[in-house]
Amino acid sequence: MSREAWEVVDGRAMSVFEIYIKTTPERLWEAITDPELRSKYSFGISVESDWTPGSAYRSGSGGVEISAGENLEVEPPRRLVQSFQALWSEDVKGAGHSRVTWEIEPVGDSCRLLVTHDQLPEGANSELFGGWPMILSGLKTLLETGELLTTPGSLRYSEAANG
Amino acid sequence: MDEVFKALADPTRRSLLDELFERDGQTLSELEQRLPMSRFGVMKHLKLLEEAGLVTTQRRGREKLHFLNPVPIRLVYERWVSKYSESWAAGLSALKHDIEEEQ
Repeated sequence: MSREAWEVVDGRAMSVFEIYIKTTPERLWEAITDPELRSKYSFGISVESDWTPGSAYRSGSGGVEISAGENLEVEPPRRLVQSFQALWSEDVKGAGHSRVTWEIEPVGDSCRLLVTHDQLPEGANSELFGGWPMILSGLKTLLETGELLTTPGSLRYSEAANG
Repeated sequence: MDEVFKALADPTRRSLLDELFERDGQTLSELEQRLPMSRFGVMKHLKLLEEAGLVTTQRRGREKLHFLNPVPIRLVYERWVSKYSESWAAGLSALKHDIEEEQ
């Protein structure tokens, strides 16, 4: 997607999610970019990329494609900006490219993680961004306790992959 | 977590969250128009919501936009619900089984 295209879609719908996690920026960055760690709090979905600026990423589980896009800005362990194309249903595919920005800021013995999902179409299907609270609370649980969250639906794709 | 409950205990603050749930990313002036309250009153309530992590703000040019942050509510939910999730899931799959048997 060209720079101009981003400008055109700027000002569309946007959601912001904030969480404090007792961990280091380095650990948090690893949890966001490591495929195995990622799958532990992200509905069982892993993500593959070489995490260089301009590289592509794909996420999915057991043959189910979930999302894909480009790593627009990669500044470990503080900032990651990705284009986001949802792939899990025809409806969400129609929403086109949006943008996800991860910002990590150390605060005392913890980190503030801000996830901004913007450039969404006006009236976008809430499935597109509705999963973030569950993902972020699973990430907090994993980093603070080493355990997996088992709330309903939190690992639905790992269950799909296993059986 | 005390701050979350304190913030949610007030009906005005709940209506501010309702406003942001309806339309995310509003300015102070927009929110002020929808509530029968002074600008100062709305600011005070927004500050408490921000301190509780229920509202996050982003600057866009000269404007400050307010967003509903549902993550702390998710944490409250998970604290008390995760324990029951296995039986919840088991109950659902049993229900699915029963329904499929009937068909």
